[in-house]
Amino acid sequence: MGKRITVPFGSQHVALPEPVRFVFQTENEKIVDVEVDVGYVHRGIEKACATKFKYMQVGYVVARVCGLCAISHTLGYVTALERLMGVEVPKRALYLRLLVSELDRIHSHLLAMGHTAEVAGYENLFMQTFRHRELVMEMLELLTGNRVQFDFACPGGVNRDLTPEVEKVLREKLKLLEEKALWLKDVYENDFSLALRWKGIGVVTEKMAKEMNVVGPPARAAGLKTDARAEFNYLPFKEVGYKMVVLKGGSIYERNLLRALEVLNSIQMCWNVLDGLPEGEIKVPVKGLPEGEMFVRIEAPRGELFYYIRGSQKLVLDRVRIRVPTFSNIPVMKELFVGMDYADVPATVISFDPCLSCTAR
Amino acid sequence: MKEMLVETIKNLFSKPATVKYPQEPSPPPANYRGLIVYRAPLCIFCTKCEMVCPPGAIRFTYGEDGSKKFHYNPYLCIYCGECVRACPKPGCLTQVEETAPPETEVPDWDALEKAAEESKKAFLKARAAAKAKKK
Repeated sequence: MGKRITVPFGSQHVALPEPVRFVFQTENEKIVDVEVDVGYVHRGIEKACATKFKYMQVGYVVARVCGLCAISHTLGYVTALERLMGVEVPKRALYLRLLVSELDRIHSHLLAMGHTAEVAGYENLFMQTFRHRELVMEMLELLTGNRVQFDFACPGGVNRDLTPEVEKVLREKLKLLEEKALWLKDVYENDFSLALRWKGIGVVTEKMAKEMNVVGPPARAAGLKTDARAEFNYLPFKEVGYKMVVLKGGSIYERNLLRALEVLNSIQMCWNVLDGLPEGEIKVPVKGLPEGEMFVRIEAPRGELFYYIRGSQKLVLDRVRIRVPTFSNIPVMKELFVGMDYADVPATVISFDPCLSCTAR
Repeated sequence: MKEMLVETIKNLFSKPATVKYPQEPSPPPANYRGLIVYRAPLCIFCTKCEMVCPPGAIRFTYGEDGSKKFHYNPYLCIYCGECVRACPKPGCLTQVEETAPPETEVPDWDALEKAAEESKKAFLKARAAAKAKKK
């Protein structure tokens, strides 16, 4: 026991974009024990949704759970509410939601890839990735009016329509982005020094992924076929050419390569949406009061996002429950760390792309 | 590695992707969800905007004769535009593309919220009393 050294990692750490705390017990360089604390940014949003805000306003509140997957949270809530109240959403609104959701996925994946490169000591690639990410941010700003809090989806449809002028700019930027994304994928796949640093580090096997309920890119990189986009029909993904990307291996290298491949698939989907956008209404009025309960599963950029709502003929809902992807991915991280070198920890944590403001909410 | 090296050297001589912000103005974002502008002469005082506003950044205070006054806190606003969509009178509430909050003094918002609530209660009470009297 006397030989053990306690090394805290977080809640504030240069490698971490968000506050999570790991306390490692190490023997020499090897980790023998780990404790996790995820509750640093608790804001009581679930309680506020069930006491303070009316059911039409909750969409704007849950959008503030997380900045990176803002549209996913709103989408989860409004889909649940629409199913509960039996609202038929116009087709054009569904396609516009899909467009924003995929653009959101692209920017989130590029952020995760860039951060992992930075933590591996590859500042140059980090800068390049973030430079190209800016294109997506500009597209989202044009489309929704804000860089981070989109407030795009609302119960019954979407808040903004896609005008021809915006569509023209989107097409130009998407073309440029596709070029850059292909180049980035090439770098992440073939870079010699990155492969040295990442291949075979932090391996999640398929069995582990299944047992520990890993979701999102880490699960798919381990070979587990799980994606809410394919399993739960909430947006017309099949019509716009969604393909599930599954890789074998499950190390940091595969996780990032999978993100790069998913970015390409998302860009393809955006092209298809822009080409085949149906005409018509973008919003239908929602009337009445919610009664009953409903849950939905949404594929957020980080994995499966779960929403449960319950209402009883009142303006304020009885319960809003959010289960976020990072919460599902924490147990496997804990398992991975035991027996790992301390030097590999930052890259492993960031490659899971943890979002703590989602987890603690 | 070679590709990154080539790209790095290219980037040494290419134009920067960023703007030197304080010296040069940042390009104004098109379609931005900016400030909410209120035009009092057009308002019909239906208080729909107050009801839909998620953070409660719009409040009405009631006068004794039932007249209402509009109050807006740009620092509490989340700029979702819900009030603009709820407004039945076109042109009364609009969202402009201007980004910075106005340099107006925001009154003591806590006191104002309290005043709004109390004045509404007093007004409703007075109206109920008047109705009962009529009967």
